[in-house]
Formats: sequence, structure tokens, C-alpha cells
Amino acid sequence: METYEFVLPSMAMGLGVVIVLFAIFYYVGYRSAKITTTAEDFYAAGYSIGPVANGLAMAATWASLATFMGVIALIYALQAPFVYLWIQWSLSIPLLTLLYGASLRRMKAFTPASFIKVRYGNEAAIISIAWMCLAMVMYALGQMIGLGMAFEVLFGIDYIYALVIVGIATVGFITIGGMYGASYNAAFQMVVMTLAIVVPMGAIMKSMGSAGWWFPPLAYGDMVPGMLERLPDFFDMRYDYRWYFALIPAFTMGPIALPHLAMRIFTSSSVKSARWSVVWFILFLGLLFSGSYTAGFAGNFFTAETGMNIEPADMTIFALNVYYNPAIVAAFVIGGAVAAGLSTIGGNLMAISGLIGSDLMGIIRPKMESKKKMAYGYAALGIGGVAAILLAFNPPAFLVTSILWAFGLLATAVAPSILLGVWWKQTNKTASILSSLVCGIIYIIISPHVLGDIVVGHGLVAALGMSGAMVTVPLAYASLVILSLLFNKMGVTAVDMETKKMVDRIHGWGSDYDEARYNGSIMPAAIVVICVIVFIWGLQPWPG
Amino acid sequence: MKESLYKKELLLTVVFFVVLLFFGHFAQIFVLFPGLQGDPVAGTGMMWGFPVHYIIPVLMGWFGLLAVTIVMALVLNKFDDDMEELAESLEGKGSNKNK
Repeated sequence: METYEFVLPSMAMGLGVVIVLFAIFYYVGYRSAKITTTAEDFYAAGYSIGPVANGLAMAATWASLATFMGVIALIYALQAPFVYLWIQWSLSIPLLTLLYGASLRRMKAFTPASFIKVRYGNEAAIISIAWMCLAMVMYALGQMIGLGMAFEVLFGIDYIYALVIVGIATVGFITIGGMYGASYNAAFQMVVMTLAIVVPMGAIMKSMGSAGWWFPPLAYGDMVPGMLERLPDFFDMRYDYRWYFALIPAFTMGPIALPHLAMRIFTSSSVKSARWSVVWFILFLGLLFSGSYTAGFAGNFFTAETGMNIEPADMTIFALNVYYNPAIVAAFVIGGAVAAGLSTIGGNLMAISGLIGSDLMGIIRPKMESKKKMAYGYAALGIGGVAAILLAFNPPAFLVTSILWAFGLLATAVAPSILLGVWWKQTNKTASILSSLVCGIIYIIISPHVLGDIVVGHGLVAALGMSGAMVTVPLAYASLVILSLLFNKMGVTAVDMETKKMVDRIHGWGSDYDEARYNGSIMPAAIVVICVIVFIWGLQPWPG
Repeated sequence: MKESLYKKELLLTVVFFVVLLFFGHFAQIFVLFPGLQGDPVAGTGMMWGFPVHYIIPVLMGWFGLLAVTIVMALVLNKFDDDMEELAESLEGKGSNKNK
């Protein structure tokens, strides 16, 4: 079969679009810097972002460079089950808001670690900061490498130069603007991303003769035969039920603890506004994600119709635009991909900034004034960005093996302490520390990325952390419940009255306190029973 | 009033948690009940040119979740109003059980 290699038709146009976009990002950053005067402004945009802008920013922060570049390769690898995996990402922010986002917004937290610190104390907060920073560095690193590689392929410059140029330009505007800049830039970036994926795809589909060009995200049914010609078993539900179930512990429960997503809730102008942001988030994200599935189908349809394979597969969306659309449109699509990478890096760096500059420095220097807190935030943001660029020169293998794997780590080591801490007064500090450390380390050990000999599952399910999370996530929840009961009975760091009152307060009860509230035995007992079943199921041999 | 609001909060959280999971993981229904996939060769199990077990999870994960989040915003924001009203009335009385 012939190959169709992607070549940018007009480097000047591509560069022009990228320069214009960066100019806008810097302008927004500059304007945002002018209104950033307090720590609340820097870390939470003054708790002022409205629902539409926040919904757009949430979607942009969540949708990474993979939406433009990685999706096609993943469609080839996992086929229809990949689409099911991708669909459930939409649950992240709705679940986060429902289960703890609204409560933490009420206490005006900057990051989930702010809550851990108040709920369990400094030691537990430091551990959760370490886990979350590891995940954020893996995430930002993946985006940084992707942007460097994209610029290398698009503009034909050496990877290291591409990385340094795009890296410094990116860290610059994010550092200037703080959370105001990150929020308004992300909202704008989401508009660019959506237009860049959906509108040109309509023109491509029309050129291909598809009758569904008028609504690319859902009307590509006549491309199905093209997909089946290339991948005849594309729609087969090839895995057993456990594979689909395993998406829940790793990929649904993990992103709940992603600090850059939680921070989007905290920037809302109110708890009610945060809930409406979630509605907009689902609308915009669904449009973008569905557009990316269409791109995958169009790539296969192209191959079926022309007999040419697109190389490299990651560049499919760009190649289709170069083949069917004018050069300026292809350049705009490149701008969309750049926006996708930048919006996620922006979220990652703001999270690192909040975790280090506010939470960690708040532990080291508890009496710090707001101005100082903000200064540390700027410093942490800049240093985090430079570290990501330096790491991307020659990244350690375990950091780039799988960003998705890190979701299972957060689902194991961070999410149980947050969720049970919000919903169950008996959740104990020592139990939280032990459960987080031990189960997190077990998750790392039983993955194929570090030791390699002791692995639960194998192949892709192990590499993505699905099989590992199906063991360690239930272990983390069950151990946290059981150890909490044990330590409270023994009087080891028993939960004090002030902490219990805080639990009532963040649910909206004000100063009204009731010992029986969030203190029952049915919920923890049910969690333990469900977790034991899932844990045993996860330990059963995984089919090859 | 306090007790019923507390129970309502727990109930709403559990119900929305389950409903969100159901819509976001709708493909699982077609794995658990393969008969729902139909037989494309016999002309069943297709919708808008796609196999139903593909397009329905896509729709549920977008418009289904959109509907759920709208209901969630309406119901939970109304719940917050009730909660604020109660909290304010309790502040006035200085209620503090099991202090």
C-alpha cells in the first residue's frame, strides 16, 4: 500500500497562526497580571469565573494534545473499546463536583491538598502533594514532549530547539497570568480547538462525498464501511466484561483526584455556578471528543478510498486537512493542536504552583502573608515549567511510559483520603497516611513500569494501570475504612471535634453540628464489601 | 427537617453517582447483554449507519450526561437553597447537638 506523508504546505502560514495565537495568550496573560493582587486572585482567579467561561476552561484543561494527535493511533490499537474508554473521561468533572468539589469550594480551598491539610494535618498533606506533583509532572512532561515533537515535524526544526522555543514561550504566558490568565486563555483555547477540529472536518467530509458533512461529530455513519474495510473487527466488543469494568477504578475514579481539574471548580464564582459550569463542560467536551472520533473514521475512510496509508498516524488530522483543505485551514488546525497542548500545560503548572507555592509553603511557613504566598506561587510555576522543559530533553522512561497510568496512582493514593474525608467523620489521619503510602507503593510495584517482575495483568491493561488499579483502588478504600476504625478505637490520632465540625461545615450546615451526621456504619460497611469483591476479581488471571 | 435534609443529601449523592456512572459507561450494557447489539447482517442493530453498541454509548456519554448534569445542577442548587435556609434558621436558634 502507498503511503501519504504529511508535509506542511506553507510553513509561513503555520508559523503565522502560531505567532498570532501566542500574541493573544500573552495579551490575556498581561491583562490578567494587572488584576492579580492577592493569593486568591493568583490561585483561584478571585473565585470569580462564570459558568460558560469556566465550562470552556474545564474542557480545555481536560482535553490534551492527544485529542488531536494521539487519538488516531489509539483507535488503531484499541479500536471501538478505545472510544468507550475515551467517552468516560467526561465523568471526571461531574463526579468531582458531586463528590467533593462543591464542599471544597465552600471552604475556599486552592487545591485538594488544602483540604487534606485541614482534615488530616501536615504529614498527610505532604504525602498527597508528592503524589499529585508526580502526576502533574508526568502530565505536563507528556504535553511538553508532544508540543516539541509537533513543532519538530511541522516546522522541520530540531526537537531540542523546538522544545526550548515552545516551552519557554508557554511557561512565559502562563507565569505572567496566574489563574486569571490560565482560565481566560483556556476558555479561548477551547473555542480554537473546537473550531479547528469540527469545521475543517465538515469540509473534508464534503470533499470525501460523505453526506454527513453538515454535522461532523455525529453524522459520519456513511464512513463506517470505510472503517470496516480497513479494520473489519473495529466494532467488536473484544474484551470480557472485566476489561470494561476496570475502566471505573483507574480512569473514572483517578481523574477525580487530579488537582488541575479540581482547581477549575474552585475558581467558580459560587457553588451553584460551579454546577452550571459542569453542564457547559459536558456540552463543549462532547463536541470536541466526538469531532476527534470523526477524524479517526475519516482517516480510515481516506485509506479505504485512496489506497494510501497516512504516515505518521499521529498526524492524520493534519494530513487530511493538507490533502483536502486550503493551506490556511491546515495552519489553523495546527493552531488548534497547539492550543490543546497549552491549555493542559497551563492547568498542570497552575496545579504545581498551588501545591508547592501555597500548600507546601503554607506548611513550612504557616504565617506567610498573602503577597508572599503569591510570590512563591509565581516562583513555583516558573520553576515547574522550566523543570518540565529540562526533563523533556531526555525524559526518564517511567515518566513518559503512560500518563494514563498515573490516573490509577491518584485513584489509589489520593482519592480515597479526599472522598472518605469529606463523607465519613471517622476517617483517621494515620489510616490515611498508611493507606496512601502503602497502597500507592503497591500500585507502583505491581505495574510493569518500575520492577517489571511483579505485575498484575499484562500487556496494555497492565501498562495503562487498569489491572493494577482494580487491585489497589479497592485495597486503598477498604484499608482506609478498616484502619480508621481500628486506630480510632485504639485512640491513635483519633478524629478531634474541630475536624468533625469542619466536615459538617463544608457540607453547608454552618455552625450547626450533629455527631451522627456523616458518621454512619452502612456506607463504610458497603464500601468494604464492594471493595473486597472487586479486589478478589482483580487478582484473578487476566486473559491474554 | 434537619434529618430529612441530611438523608436527602445522601440519597441525591448516591443516585447521581450511580446515574453518572451508568451514562458514562453505557457500553457495559452491551457487553452484559450482547443480544442488544442486534445483527447488522440481518439489518438490525444499526442506527444512523453505526452499530447501536457504538453510537448509543457515544450519545449517552454526551447528550445523556448533558441531561443528567442539567438535572443535577437544578436539583442540587435547589437543595443548597433549602440547606442555606435551614442553616440560617439554626444560626438564629444556636443549635448544636452533641456538643
